[in-house]
Amino acid sequence: MNDAIIRLTQTVKGSGCAAKLAPGDLDRALCGLDLPVDPNLLVGLERADDAGVYKISDELALVQTVDFFPPMVDEPFSFGQIAAANALSDVYAMGGTPRTAMNIVAFPGRTLDISILRDIIEGGLSKMREAGVVLVGGHTIDDPELKYGLSVTGFIHPARILTKKNLQFGDLLLLTKPLGTGIVTTAIKAGFADKELTDRVTLAMATLNMAAAEAMAGFAVHACTDITGFGFLGHLAEMVVDSGCGVLVKSREIPHYSEALQWADMGLIPAGTYNNRNFRGAFVDFADSVSMAIQDLLFDPQTSGGLLIAVAAADAEPLVAALKARGVGCAAIVGEVVAKPFGRIVVE
Amino acid sequence: MKFELDCRGLNCPAPVLKVRDAIEQEQPTSISVIVDNDAARQNVSRFLEHRHYQVSFYHQGADFIVSASNSCAVPEVEVDAVGVSPNAALPGTKKIMVLVTSSNMGHGDDGLGDMLMFNFIKTLKEMGPELWRVVFVNSGVSFVSEGSEAVSVLQVLVSLGVEVTACGACLAYFHLLDKLQVGEVTNMLEIVTAMKQADSVVTI
Repeated sequence: MNDAIIRLTQTVKGSGCAAKLAPGDLDRALCGLDLPVDPNLLVGLERADDAGVYKISDELALVQTVDFFPPMVDEPFSFGQIAAANALSDVYAMGGTPRTAMNIVAFPGRTLDISILRDIIEGGLSKMREAGVVLVGGHTIDDPELKYGLSVTGFIHPARILTKKNLQFGDLLLLTKPLGTGIVTTAIKAGFADKELTDRVTLAMATLNMAAAEAMAGFAVHACTDITGFGFLGHLAEMVVDSGCGVLVKSREIPHYSEALQWADMGLIPAGTYNNRNFRGAFVDFADSVSMAIQDLLFDPQTSGGLLIAVAAADAEPLVAALKARGVGCAAIVGEVVAKPFGRIVVE
Repeated sequence: MKFELDCRGLNCPAPVLKVRDAIEQEQPTSISVIVDNDAARQNVSRFLEHRHYQVSFYHQGADFIVSASNSCAVPEVEVDAVGVSPNAALPGTKKIMVLVTSSNMGHGDDGLGDMLMFNFIKTLKEMGPELWRVVFVNSGVSFVSEGSEAVSVLQVLVSLGVEVTACGACLAYFHLLDKLQVGEVTNMLEIVTAMKQADSVVTI
């Protein structure tokens, strides 16, 4: 179309998972809906888990999920990779293995060259290949704002489903990717981030949670989710609600992009951070020593974030070692499941 | 020098970038930014605090006005004096500054004093274009805060170009900082500078 470099992030309003509808709004839309009942639906909408699970036999269940969003990076191939890694992640977070995928595309055909769409889909395909997933189709509409993602189907053994809802006293919490992608991508959009950091965060977002999920096998993992649009504390709150437990978070142990703290102080914070804080802030008690920037980091909407794993205390260090051995270098123990205060998250 | 920015309709991080460009180019001692969502309100406030401004905000319909002043910077008295500021009185017009030091007018009965002071504020607009600035200090800050009948009266004055300011330390003392409904937060340096700029100061 022309030789000018198109910055994808400048063409859209929200970016990445920060473009999610505010969580409270979604709850209001879904609350009280009359949902069809089926005994084979093992995990459905009412559980609000990472993916739905439908039992086919005693040995096999389907894991299904869908995720799409506007670009959070400027480079089309990277955007495709990140969107695919993000969509596939929900299957990994359930303990499943993704098998097939369909593209979901909204593309401004009148303003962007079609070669950009090709690069995005190439990026997505590269991640599907890495995950051993086949592309079986897709659907594309003309839309003023670019969006891309996948509908993913995977397999899982019905007895080995990992949900958010099985925290046990004494479990330790592990996080497998650094926090701060929402703030950093906001800074990228604002032109503050240098190329080195842009490349580093792009690579992290494009990294599949496959290695992390494989590392969990063989350890006493009780619950798992992936960190995306609701932020670390938003997703942790989903685990804590109705668990009968509380959680103590050690904010000093949280892997993160150090630049994100500076930018948070400057107000380069995606609107989703504030939505997340408004929705879940009431569950969380921050110690006085936890700075505002750290609090923002913990509510920061993540795009293609890491897994948050609750594992029996004795298995925590060996799991960290197994994660590192598989290349999940920043894996760290970031908190523990406690009896008191019940139903709350304490951050110190 | 006072500076105003309209950041409505902009999504994060655009409002912060617009404010950054403005303060880097103009170096205003005070700035007010209008935004239409709470995230932008908080981000702009944090950015201005990061740049050592004292920041407050109030609601204007569905929008937020973030106002900030930088008491460390040297006020650009000469620029204001020739009427460059959008709210300043027309060149050649006498400038009257009214300093409201109490929620009561006169001594005697407090209930009567309250009523008289409210009536005084309501009648201030009769000063016409010479009314340049109304400054509220001590218990006078109650008039610019949530719950006061004077708020709507003062909003009319603001719309006529009168500068309404309230002492930040006083608002803080009465726990009214987050209840400011009209005008901007000011400080003693700005008040003293304004007294020098004004042709006459009425203290009540």
